[in-house]
Amino acid sequence: MEQGQTISGSQAVIKVLAAHGVTTVFGYPGGAIMPIYDALYGSQVEHLLCRHEQGAGFAAVGYARSSGKTGVCFATSGPGATNLITALADAMMDSIPLVAITGQVATPVIGTDAFQEMDVLGMSLSCTKHSFMVTSSDELVATLYQAFEIAAAGRPGPVLVDIPKDIQLAQLEYKTPLQAVPDEPSLDLAAIAAANTLLAQAERPMLYVGGGVGMAGAVEQLRELIQRTGIPSVATLKGLGAVTHNAPGYLGMLGMHGNQAANHAVQQADLLLVAGARFDDRVTGKLDTFAPHAKVIHLDIDAAEQGKLRQPEVAINDDLRMVLPALSLSQDIGPWQQHVAQLKQQYAWRYDRPGTQIYAPALLKALADSLPEDSVVSCDVGQHQMWVAQHMWFRRPEDHLSSAGFGTMGFGVPAAVGAQVARPGATVVAVSGDGSFMMNVQELTTIKRRRLPLKILLLDNQKLGMVKQWQQLFFEERYSETDLSDNPDFLTLAAAFNIPGRSISKASEVADALSDMLTSPGPFLLHVQIDDRFNVWPLVPPGASNSDMIDEVEIQQ
Amino acid sequence: MIHHLVLTLEQRPEVLERVLRVTRHRGFRVCDMRMSQQEDQRLLLDMAVDSDKAIELLSRQLDKLIDVTTCVVQGYQPIARTING
Repeated sequence: MEQGQTISGSQAVIKVLAAHGVTTVFGYPGGAIMPIYDALYGSQVEHLLCRHEQGAGFAAVGYARSSGKTGVCFATSGPGATNLITALADAMMDSIPLVAITGQVATPVIGTDAFQEMDVLGMSLSCTKHSFMVTSSDELVATLYQAFEIAAAGRPGPVLVDIPKDIQLAQLEYKTPLQAVPDEPSLDLAAIAAANTLLAQAERPMLYVGGGVGMAGAVEQLRELIQRTGIPSVATLKGLGAVTHNAPGYLGMLGMHGNQAANHAVQQADLLLVAGARFDDRVTGKLDTFAPHAKVIHLDIDAAEQGKLRQPEVAINDDLRMVLPALSLSQDIGPWQQHVAQLKQQYAWRYDRPGTQIYAPALLKALADSLPEDSVVSCDVGQHQMWVAQHMWFRRPEDHLSSAGFGTMGFGVPAAVGAQVARPGATVVAVSGDGSFMMNVQELTTIKRRRLPLKILLLDNQKLGMVKQWQQLFFEERYSETDLSDNPDFLTLAAAFNIPGRSISKASEVADALSDMLTSPGPFLLHVQIDDRFNVWPLVPPGASNSDMIDEVEIQQ
Repeated sequence: MIHHLVLTLEQRPEVLERVLRVTRHRGFRVCDMRMSQQEDQRLLLDMAVDSDKAIELLSRQLDKLIDVTTCVVQGYQPIARTING
């Protein structure tokens, strides 16, 4: 297609997607987006039909998170668009680049309560980085270009473009918009000098790594900094995979369900070097007791995060790929490194639990150790999500997909679908729980439709486990609506979607079953029956300081 | 404490909703406001907001909005005096 050629708005949408290297779109058609689906038909852009718009949104999120590219999803007006909202909110909280294109009723009937009309632009304001409703076909192409640019620039996020049906049908002259030349990357040298002064004075520095490191493409620079300086490190849920898992001084996840060594070390640190993290409440515990002795150097591309919850001594908004190599330690931190190593040893996870029951942490550790180099784990939300974060290890952040900020049950399976599409050669495992799994169970059809070889590891305790855990600990064992013992037969359910599987309940079956799952050429459901008395430990109780973690032993006493 | 903000905004139908939504959600109450169109078609929004929170917690969030061109914290006097005076 030549510049200046007259085409329909719908054809222009597909052309802009192709121009941005989009190979797969996830979506669901409906009345107000039919012209776009008509233009898609036979085009170079592939579409994967999901079976609910939320599933399509999460597939686009999984595609984006596992590949670093911008994910794209389609939905029709009204209920199609409202079904996307949860996935947009999830992408907003975890800063995921997404472009969502929704059909809208035709311009002349907007505001008349037309069939399947909803003010989607209005609904999008709180759950997108930016959003547009296209009001003229002349603006359509430039708006879509802008949407892709905004989604990926700076701190990434979801962008929604709502396109009325008449604009999809209108003829327009296609012109590639002129694009602004990106600013030369800069480095705030004064702030770097201030940071290095603090680092030079620190006796107990700690690197607090968030999801921003992976999103900035700065994993290599981060690992180089750790290797060069020997600075001990901890990671957030989204930061897992950034630090090499067996690096000396790496203590794993901090926060509510973090490793005790990570939390104690942060509480003792005299300097926090925060890279692409935002002092989330699940990380800090009681905020005014978090890292009480530490000065803070806060590195984040988003200046609004600096001082939002903790005032930093030094704030830097530049590209982490430039900032991290410019930082250094000059003081000998040997005694601190030794102390951190001692904490790491003292609080190392233990898997030698007696008995014949399956201990989920041990199973997940075994899974991590069995996964090939190119693999993705996509989590759902709940107890199993925390066990994955605690006990699995990842080669890079793109290998671990978890609904971190929004905590959306139902995320795992559709996000795994997107990851498998983005990385067809990878072993993709969705780790889910019996509560979460049922929240987007319709996406099993999507797996069947595309014959995706993804694996589902379903940890089933017949409970809404994390809520049950809190009821047990903080609501006097009043188990309100958390019993799921009427779950369906999951193997029969999977079989209906041509997904074979196996069910296990004994520790002695784990190794063989994991092998079955990982060597299966197609999709596979491994149903793992676990005891509902297993909880996630340790735990920072709500409102408590990270210094006051409780462990299983203390509860039993 | 009352803070006075002056914003220039892109001319979009929903831009005022965006600014007011962020203002509410981040814990600030609008006490007074006036909006006018400038010669370059952009909108000038003069706004007084009340909160115990530091004004930077709002101004930095407003600054991030794509359609907010500039966001300047003017001071701490009530806006009514400024824009009516």
